[in-house]
Amino acid sequence: MLRRLVASSLAVAAVLATAGPVESARRPKYGGTLRVEIGAVVRSLDPTTGTATAEEAAARDEINSLLYEGRSQEGAYTGAIGSGPFRLAEWEPGRRAVVVANETFQEGRPFLDSVEIRMGRAAPDRLLDIELDRADVAEIPPEEVRRAAERGVRVSVSLADELVAIVFVPGRSAAEDVRSREALSRSIDRAAIVNFILQKQGEPAGGLLPQWSSGTAFLFSTASDTAEARNIWSEISGPRRIVLGYDAGDSLEQSIAERIAVDAREAGGSVTVVATKPGAGSLNADARFVRLRMASPDPREALERYIATLGPIVGVTADPAPAAMPQQIYDQERAIVSTYRIVPLVWLPRAYGLGTRVRDWKAPATGAGWPFADLWLGEVP
Amino acid sequence: MTFRTKLFVVFMLALLLSVAIVAVGVAAVTRRAFQDSNRTHSEALVAQFEREFERHKQDIAHRVQGIADAEATVRMAIDLSRPKADVSVYVNDARGVSESHQLDFLDFAGDDGSIISSNELPARFGYKIDWLAQRQDWAALGAFLRKVDTQDGPALGLMSVSVVRVGDKNLYVFGGERLGKDFLASLVLPSGMRALLYMNLDTNFQPADLVDESGPVTDGERFAEFIEQEREHPAEHVFHIAWTPDAVSGESFHLLPLLGRQGELLGALLVGSSDREVVMLERRIIWLAAGVAAMGLLLGLLLSWWGAARVTRPVRKLAEGAREVSEGNWSARVEVRGRNEIAQLAKAFNRMTEQLSEQRERLVQAERVAAWRELARRLAHELKNPLFPLETTVENLQRAKEQSPEQFEEVFRESTGILLSEIENLKKIVGRFSDFAKMPQPEIGPVNLNETVRSIVKLFESQFGAVGRPPITPELHLEDGLPAIQADEALLRRAIENLVLNAMDAMPAGGVLMLRTTHENGDVDLEVSDTGSGLTPEECDRLFTPYYTTKQHGTGLGLAIVQSVVSDHGGRISVESESGVGTSFHIHLPAKPPVRSPSAVAELASSNGE
Repeated sequence: MLRRLVASSLAVAAVLATAGPVESARRPKYGGTLRVEIGAVVRSLDPTTGTATAEEAAARDEINSLLYEGRSQEGAYTGAIGSGPFRLAEWEPGRRAVVVANETFQEGRPFLDSVEIRMGRAAPDRLLDIELDRADVAEIPPEEVRRAAERGVRVSVSLADELVAIVFVPGRSAAEDVRSREALSRSIDRAAIVNFILQKQGEPAGGLLPQWSSGTAFLFSTASDTAEARNIWSEISGPRRIVLGYDAGDSLEQSIAERIAVDAREAGGSVTVVATKPGAGSLNADARFVRLRMASPDPREALERYIATLGPIVGVTADPAPAAMPQQIYDQERAIVSTYRIVPLVWLPRAYGLGTRVRDWKAPATGAGWPFADLWLGEVP
Repeated sequence: MTFRTKLFVVFMLALLLSVAIVAVGVAAVTRRAFQDSNRTHSEALVAQFEREFERHKQDIAHRVQGIADAEATVRMAIDLSRPKADVSVYVNDARGVSESHQLDFLDFAGDDGSIISSNELPARFGYKIDWLAQRQDWAALGAFLRKVDTQDGPALGLMSVSVVRVGDKNLYVFGGERLGKDFLASLVLPSGMRALLYMNLDTNFQPADLVDESGPVTDGERFAEFIEQEREHPAEHVFHIAWTPDAVSGESFHLLPLLGRQGELLGALLVGSSDREVVMLERRIIWLAAGVAAMGLLLGLLLSWWGAARVTRPVRKLAEGAREVSEGNWSARVEVRGRNEIAQLAKAFNRMTEQLSEQRERLVQAERVAAWRELARRLAHELKNPLFPLETTVENLQRAKEQSPEQFEEVFRESTGILLSEIENLKKIVGRFSDFAKMPQPEIGPVNLNETVRSIVKLFESQFGAVGRPPITPELHLEDGLPAIQADEALLRRAIENLVLNAMDAMPAGGVLMLRTTHENGDVDLEVSDTGSGLTPEECDRLFTPYYTTKQHGTGLGLAIVQSVVSDHGGRISVESESGVGTSFHIHLPAKPPVRSPSAVAELASSNGE
């Protein structure tokens, strides 16, 4: 909308130009290359191929959202590649991608001439590059948001729309005892995870949908119940040890896993955390972490996508008549959570550090990709 | 075994025993010295450990206090003392602070003991350390041992607590160092010693909890018995482990319990001293002793051989002298040297042989005189008997010539017949004496004594059953397989015939003549027994004396000849007699007569000549 407005107002550009330096600094302008740094390593942009990690899948979706016109309700990309606001100009798998502005994009040419995306950058390096103006946009882990802000970095935080949970691996003996799964779920202090590990970014998750989306998340308890967990574990006659696998390259998962182990031990249980290679699965783990990003702010759509993803794990199939009423959504959500095959932990926001040149940045909406088509680059103050 | 050999053996045994005693003594003293040394080293190491431990305690307390005194910590304390303070800001602080202060463990805990930040177990934030808030005077306590939970499981730590007080709120700084292989590596150990640390972290003894400076101890299970004992009764004690049957592998351990703040057993220091050096030294001593003993024995062999020869030479001379005397050399003398007991013995020996020679000489002289007297008496007796008829006959001839010439012829014939008969009798008497005097030298050859005895009995058979005489029954008990002996058969036959004749004379009323032969080790024995009236002990004593006889017409030479023959064959003859029962002569003859020395032969010849 802004771009159309600007394009139709070229005639008055001269008038705007005479409005003084302050006005010109606020006035969108075309041109420039946006330097973006992400932590994920994307090896292929083909949406039909598999990805090693959820992080890679999310990053691929973000890049493809720049290249395609849009997405269907089921999540499939619409239009041909290059029909989006940008076209792929350079591609170095796993390292770098350069997209250039699509002059014929139906919603108007983006302000940016191009976007250079550097992949596989470590979080401290990304933050440092923002601080040193070597990057314009960089992903920031939620747990680093506070520190980044304290260091004076412009930080953009989205709504908490990524669910971090643990799922029990079907067939594993320790995962088949619902009492054991319940005890573990009750022993976890989710608030402590949010407050300490995530440094108050995100929300404790008791259900599958966040409060801002479903409005019923408060009905799911997120508080730890150590006493009840201890009671349950004391009633279990078999082995209480649960092996929890985490992605070896994900420090957040590791921190949460270690906290879960401490919580379980305090409740009389035993959780052993093991690192697994990214994409290698969890051969020896009874449970593993999953990260689920909401495909849509609409709770019904989001739940359907969750069920499609988690169904084989939690043994739930999608309701043939899509739940439309909040009560029905809640019931289905409750049914899934009550199996304790998936244990929701926290909701994470997407956080970005922004360079000083970035103008008109809007935090990406749930289900939407990077908002690079609408931002523009100003002068370095 | 000769005296010299015995003396030599005694010398050698004494030498061997001395070397063995010295070797054992040196080994024992060395072992004790090494044990004392090892004990001293162990005690020194324990003392060193205690010093290091104390120093570490002070150092850790100092470093933890340094953290508490740092401006950042004070700022944290101030911040946390505010109402609704956000403790999550500090959740990662412990890691950086502990790294900068080189501490393995560090926790920041709030006023109620809740963990704000933990280095060793970062995920434990929010949980309370109850005992932290229960004590106020942490500074006075200093560092102490404590079991610490880490991400890798429990560990043993040397910990200290410092308190930062802001207003009425405390911030606890709880930090320390891991007690493990790195700490052991800091101890300076003498050669042959090692230090182990047992961390009492589990409910039962786990070998992985016993480490040395390089990690878990190999064969840690071997310590289970002693560690369990320590767990039950914590106290300092010493024990020994033999790793293999070889004594070299043995190791002694000095165990020092490590107690926690409440006196609970949290660990133990084990100072091990290897037996290798002492055992090797003992073995070296034994080998050295064996070498010295071998050399000593060799030297002792030579010295004791020489010494024994020197010591026993006079004794040997004495023995040789005694042997010569026993062989009849009465003039044998022993050389006398020195004044010791042997010399005195030699002097006594010489004196004794001199006296024996003199006494023998006197005895021989006396015997000669007695023999001559006996000879004279016997000669007189023997000659007197035929002389009387001769005298009577001659007187009858004279009387017949003077008084009855007509009858002279008749008397002459009768008288000359008597004279010739008596003269013949005299010649026989003289002949017997001559025969005794001319006893020939034995001509040695193989003799079957059984055959000789049988032929003699056969010879006398007619006389045993002669008419007008009570019969004598011969009984022969001749042992089969009697070996032949080297002897002069003629002389033996003569001797046995004399004994048979003697027996026949002893049995005028008849009886049993028994001849028995036996043998043993090649020597043969002959027994000739009669059932006559027997002899008195006095008669038995003098029976073999020449010219002694109990018979009215005996010459007293028969048994003397028998003894002479037996003696010439190196044999022995003895007699047993019981009055009214009979008499038995026992002759023992060697398989081979001894070779007479030339002097003895000459002496014999000369005596025969006499």
